[in-house]
Amino acid sequence: MRLGISWDTDRFGDATSGWKEIVSEAEQADKLGFHSVWISEGRERAADISAPSVFLSYLARLTNNVQLRITGRRVTHALPAHIAEEVAVLDTFSRGRAGIAFAGASAQGVPSAHVHEMIDFVTAAFASDEFRFRGDHIRFPAHTPDDAPPGASVPESEGPYLAQWDWGPETPDFLAITPKPYLPHTPVAVEIDDDDTLSWAAQHGISPMIGADVPTDEAADRLARYRKTADAAGRARREVEAVLERRIALDGDSDAHTLGGSPRDILNAIRDLRGRTGISHLVWRRGGAVPMDLYRFASEIEMLLQA
Amino acid sequence: MEFWTTSIGIAKMRPIPNALGDGYDKFVNDAAEAEALGFDGYGSGEHHFMYDEFMPLPLQAMAAVAAKTSKIRLSTNAMLLPLYDPLEAAEIASTLDVLSNGRVSLGLGMGYRPYEFDGFGTKKTTRGARLRESMEVLRLATTQDSFSYQGKYYQYENESLRPRSIQRPIDLWFCGGTSLQGARRAGAAGLGYWLANSPFDHTENIVKEYRKAGEEAGFAASDLRIASFKDVCIGNTMAEAQGLRQMLMDSFYDEHILGYGYLVDEDGKNLYNPAKDHPLYQRFVSSLYCGTVEMVIEELKRYEALGMEMIFLPSQQRELIAQEILPEFRK
Repeated sequence: MRLGISWDTDRFGDATSGWKEIVSEAEQADKLGFHSVWISEGRERAADISAPSVFLSYLARLTNNVQLRITGRRVTHALPAHIAEEVAVLDTFSRGRAGIAFAGASAQGVPSAHVHEMIDFVTAAFASDEFRFRGDHIRFPAHTPDDAPPGASVPESEGPYLAQWDWGPETPDFLAITPKPYLPHTPVAVEIDDDDTLSWAAQHGISPMIGADVPTDEAADRLARYRKTADAAGRARREVEAVLERRIALDGDSDAHTLGGSPRDILNAIRDLRGRTGISHLVWRRGGAVPMDLYRFASEIEMLLQA
Repeated sequence: MEFWTTSIGIAKMRPIPNALGDGYDKFVNDAAEAEALGFDGYGSGEHHFMYDEFMPLPLQAMAAVAAKTSKIRLSTNAMLLPLYDPLEAAEIASTLDVLSNGRVSLGLGMGYRPYEFDGFGTKKTTRGARLRESMEVLRLATTQDSFSYQGKYYQYENESLRPRSIQRPIDLWFCGGTSLQGARRAGAAGLGYWLANSPFDHTENIVKEYRKAGEEAGFAASDLRIASFKDVCIGNTMAEAQGLRQMLMDSFYDEHILGYGYLVDEDGKNLYNPAKDHPLYQRFVSSLYCGTVEMVIEELKRYEALGMEMIFLPSQQRELIAQEILPEFRK
C-alpha cells in the first residue's frame, strides 16, 4: 500500500501564504516516508494551483523521495503536446518521480471520449518516438490526413536519415514529443466519475482514481465495478494502481468522506477498503493541519499497515 | 545595466554528451552559481520536438530554478507565445511568480520553426497577430482582478487569473529578432524590446527605429525599454577568442542558425540552410563579439550608452565575466 497526501486549498486565504504550508508539508512527507504528494489543478479559489506541473517542478528540487503527481488535470486548459511535455519535464527534473491523473469528464463538462483520447495521446507520446495521432479532438501533427489510422500510428518504415535542421519548411508526417519521461512507464490515472470512463479505463489498463468528494461507499462500489470490468476484459490487477483519496481525522470522527478514530481504527478502515476495492494507493486529502499529524500517521499507521 | 545569463544545460551541445537528466541538473546548478556570482537574471529558451533534454517548457524549468535561488530574475528567452493559449500562459507565469516571490520576466517570441506550429495546430501565418493579442491578454490578466477580451483569435469573458501574480503587471518583453520592421512594430505598441544577437551598428539602427516609432505613437521615453542578447567570446588574444566563437558555431549555433529558417531577410523571407557566405549568416557570426576582457568591457559600455536596461550574455565564461567585467559596470 502506497500512501500520499493532497491538499484542500480553501483553507488558505491566499496563494502566497498557503503555498508555503503546502511546500512545508510536502518536505515533511518526503522525510517521513510518504510515497507521494498530489497537486490538483484548480482555478476557483485564491490559493488554487492552475499549473500543477510548475508547482511540482519546484517541489522536485526540494524533495528527494516522494512521487510528484499532477491530479485533476483538465483536457481543455492546455494543448495536448504541452501536457505530454510537462509530465516528461517533471519526470526528468525529479529523476522518475512524476505521474498524472486526469479529471473525470463530468467534472470538466466535456465528452468522456475527449478524456480517453487525451490519455491515448499522452501515453503514445511517452512510448513512441516519431508518431502521429488522428482523433476527434486531437490531431498531431495538424496536417495528419483524414485517412490516417485512428489514434496513434507510427511510420511503417524508417526512411533515409535527415536531421531536423535539414527539414526545411516542410513538416514531417510524424513527430516525436520530447523529452521522454525518465522512466518507461509513467503512472497515468483517470478519475472514474462516469460509467463510460470507468469501463474504458478498466478495459484499457488505465489506473482508476476516486477523489475525496465521492462518499466512501460509492467510491468502494465504483472501484469494485472497475475491477470486475477489468477482470472480464482480461486485464491483470498488476497493470494498474487503484488510487483512492480520503480525508483522515486522527482522533476525530468518521463520516461519508473521512476515515476517523484512533490510529488503530484508521488502520482497520484502510485495510477494509483495500479488501473491498483492491486499492494500492491511498491519498490523504488534508483539510487542515494538526501539529504532528503527518508524523503520527507515518509512525502509528503507515508502519503498522505495512507490518 | 543589468546582466542576465543562461546555461547550455538544456540546450545540449553536440560534442558534449552527458548523462540523462544531468543537463537539467546543470541548468539548476548553473543558475545558483550565476546568482552567487552577481548576475541579475537567468533564462531558458523554448523549442519543441527536438532531442531529449532540450527544454520545451521554460517556465516549468524556471520553477526548478526558483527552488534553489532567491534573488535572481527568472526569464524566458524566448517563450513561444503563439503556441499557448494566452490564459494558460498567464497561469503558468503567475504560478511561477508566486513561487519565486515576483521574480518572473517573460521574454516572448513568435517562433519560427514550421514543425512547431504544425505540432500545436497553430497556423504560422497567424503568429504575429496571436503574439500581439496574447501579450495584451497577459497584461490584462496580471493587472485586473477580472477581465474580458475580444480578439480575432482569443476571447475571454469575466476571467480571473488564479493565482494572482505578485507583479502587477508581470514583466513583459517582446523578443523581436533583428529586423527593423519588428522594432518599429514593438515601438508603436510600446512593448519592451529585447533584441537578438546583432552587431553593434545594426543594434544602434534598431534602437533608433524602435524609439522613433514609440515616440511617434505617443509613448514616453521611460516606457520604451530595450535589452539585448549578446554572445561574447573572451580570450587572452583575438585568435583565442575567435577559436571559442568557432567552437560555439560548430557545436551549437550552425545547426540552429542555418536550419529551421531562423535567418530572415528584410522582406520577411525565412532562409533555410543558406551558404555560409550569405550576408545574414556572416552578420550573425560577427554579432558574436570576440575580444579580450578590455575590448569586451568597451563593447558592452557602448550598449550601456544606448540605454540598454539589460544585456543577456549566454556565455559559459560566467566566472570570468563576473570577476573581470561586471565590476566595471557596478562602480
